[in-house]
Amino acid sequence: MDILSSFSVFGSTLLSLLSSPTNLLLLIGASFAGIIFGALPGLTATLGVALLTTLTYGMDVNTALIALLGLYVGAIYGGSYPSILINIPGTAAAAATALDGYPLALKGQGGRALGLTTTASLIGTLMGILVLVVAAPWVAKMALQFTSFEFFLLALFGILISGTLTSPDLVIKGWIAGLLGLAVSTIGRDPLQFFPRFTFDMPDLDQGLEVVPVLIGAFGIPQVIRALRNKESLGAMQEFGRILPEWSTLFKNRKNITRSSMIGIGIGAVPGIGEDIAGWVSYGAAKNTSTHSETFGTGEPEGIIASETANNACIGGALIPLLTLGIPGSPPAAMLLGALMLHGITPGPMIVVEDPDFLIEVTAILVLCSIAMWINGMFLAKQVVKVLSIPAPIFLPVVTLMCILGSYALGLNIFNLYMMVLVGVIAYFLGEMQYPISPLVIGVILGPMADENLRRAMMVSEGSLMPFLERPVSILLLLVIVLVLLSKVPQYQTLKSIILKKLGFGRTSKKGA
Amino acid sequence: MKKIVTALVSGVLAVSLSTSVMAKDRYPERDITNVVVWSAGGGTDVINRMITSEMAPFLDVNINVTNRPGGVAGSLGMSYVHKLKADGYTLVGLSESVVASAVQGGWDQRMDVWYPFIVGGSPDVISVSENSKYNSLEDLISDVKAHPKTIKGSAGGAGSIHHLNLLAVANGTNAEFNYIPYPGSAPAQTAVLTGEVDFVITSLAEQQQLIKGGKLKPLAMLVEQSQELDGVGVIPSAFDKFPSLTKHLPIMQAIGFAVKQEASDSVKAKLTDAFNKAIAGPKLQEWAKSNYYVLSGLSGEAASQEFAFLESLFSWTLKDLGSVKVDPTALGIPKPSEL
Repeated sequence: MDILSSFSVFGSTLLSLLSSPTNLLLLIGASFAGIIFGALPGLTATLGVALLTTLTYGMDVNTALIALLGLYVGAIYGGSYPSILINIPGTAAAAATALDGYPLALKGQGGRALGLTTTASLIGTLMGILVLVVAAPWVAKMALQFTSFEFFLLALFGILISGTLTSPDLVIKGWIAGLLGLAVSTIGRDPLQFFPRFTFDMPDLDQGLEVVPVLIGAFGIPQVIRALRNKESLGAMQEFGRILPEWSTLFKNRKNITRSSMIGIGIGAVPGIGEDIAGWVSYGAAKNTSTHSETFGTGEPEGIIASETANNACIGGALIPLLTLGIPGSPPAAMLLGALMLHGITPGPMIVVEDPDFLIEVTAILVLCSIAMWINGMFLAKQVVKVLSIPAPIFLPVVTLMCILGSYALGLNIFNLYMMVLVGVIAYFLGEMQYPISPLVIGVILGPMADENLRRAMMVSEGSLMPFLERPVSILLLLVIVLVLLSKVPQYQTLKSIILKKLGFGRTSKKGA
Repeated sequence: MKKIVTALVSGVLAVSLSTSVMAKDRYPERDITNVVVWSAGGGTDVINRMITSEMAPFLDVNINVTNRPGGVAGSLGMSYVHKLKADGYTLVGLSESVVASAVQGGWDQRMDVWYPFIVGGSPDVISVSENSKYNSLEDLISDVKAHPKTIKGSAGGAGSIHHLNLLAVANGTNAEFNYIPYPGSAPAQTAVLTGEVDFVITSLAEQQQLIKGGKLKPLAMLVEQSQELDGVGVIPSAFDKFPSLTKHLPIMQAIGFAVKQEASDSVKAKLTDAFNKAIAGPKLQEWAKSNYYVLSGLSGEAASQEFAFLESLFSWTLKDLGSVKVDPTALGIPKPSEL
């Protein structure tokens, strides 16, 4: 199909969707519901899409896609609200946003932070869509370069980078927390041979630890305990700053936004992983390439822009392997695959032949969804900031209740609730000892991926480690990991500045992006 | 949001109410809940959502589908429904893989506690990547025999239906593969595309897009019938060249739902009636045809027999693999040969 006719399909789809008031209402409603889903701890984009799938059964495909994609885009964005306002990420994808978002809120700039994330999320989503339309076949090809070897390295990289980024004092504490998460993630039946590990014959432990109760426990409970102990509110009173986009800040961040989008799209396109890691990697990249990396973690707008642009850019990325190969790029995209199949559409390489307009229609719907998210966000941001003015005696019990509901809602399993409280208490004491909590959670999320893929890689290579050094993507990832490790060794920093000086770079503080 | 909350609340209410209200002849008086033991978006989930929404008009109530994945081979969802009253207001959405739950220590019940309804399944096919040197099953098997244990094959998780098919092919042809486990069919298929493994066995429904798109080259169907595929041609049956396979195959998916065996006859009769009408309806027939599913439509006694066979096959195969927690004999599960 040539570009002109693509554009006409795009335009006519947009028009036909916009001309129906039901669709418009549904679009705004689904996007709103998505934001609420993302914002409530424990309710994730994946769960939201799953629940909505049933309700879309009777709708036609385009209407169903409006609802599902609207919710998906909204939920990825909505996770940033509690991250920024109360330091409890609504979804794992927004955990990196809390690092700089919450300090901003403490400074009374919560409104500004929300405004920035709203527009950053919009730009991220649109960039993802753009790449989806322009470069889908190439990106899909890249995604197929990832085998068990690369998945293992990617998981390891994710844990290492979150360890280095969040440690308040010693870097090693971040890595210790990450390793703790990794260790805990081995609980349950091992994914390859089904052997029970550390389950102590308790059937509830067979499946391993669920991510959501760990996430809520690790972030939510310590936050509540601390607020109770200090008899204070969870956030400072907010000056109602600008919610509308700060074009100058965004323009200053154009490099950051482009890089974050590319990272998000890339990670989204790799099958099986998505938003959860994208935010971290992008935040890490922003911090490591910044000229003032010491301000990260103290309320640096660049930090929230990086993580929020990337996790929303993931959506377009995750749809690339889904629509071109039938392989979902992220957990919510896997849910979307089920929803599409319910409507008789099997995404895959034949979709361009069987239904040539489908990709363009999806694009048009996604564009609408991201705009709906932005409009909703603009209205909501100002309102949600007000929750911080609710007095602590009312607000704290509500937050606690939300944590409990969120842990229970997924799977309706009471065991998860006990798990959440236990993890919460442990996380509180770790936090008191200045251990960062994020690497622990990332360890739990990525642990099974690292474990399973390393062991599978060994099965494939019949025990040889050589493929790690023979595969191009694997070598690249290894190099990045070594660099991350080295950058934390003081001697390396000195060495680097000496080398750079010898090579004639006067200003060693400025690294290239 | 309101809709979702309503759905959630009504789902929870329906579940909690069903423990207190007795079902009488007026069944069904209120909404029915179908608890699917696998996560939303998977094959079992999609089929359950479809069959229940087609059945709903004949029962004149809504059937809400919820998911309760987890435990061992769907044990969480099954134990949950099994603990509730047998009033017919809670169904369990399941697939053939749940039969392995008991031997793997997921729960302590046999499949005969259920009164099953089988919607159907998709036949398994063995495929290689588009640029593979193998052009037929004979090519692959003779190469495996020349290099035993080095040719890598994927087939979803260990103990899955596709893995059982792979083992059956290995037994029926005396070929020794290097089986690489993946958490599901999609990652197993991706592994062929990335070149990590040499061949894959999953269902035709799961592979059809990749086959038609030229990414996968199908070698043989693992059922008796050959399969015509638009734009691809005929995929031959593996039985043509390897007749000994008939001793081990076919092992077909059995996706559907069940009500407790103790449920009253009137409940079973009403569900069976709605089930039969839904299966015969154009929507399901159409969907099955275009997605390469074979509809079964078995219910009651016939479906129970099918599940008893699968239970025996899965349990004893897993025992041979050394991955059972509870011995099948202890549960009273007969060997496939004794059935």
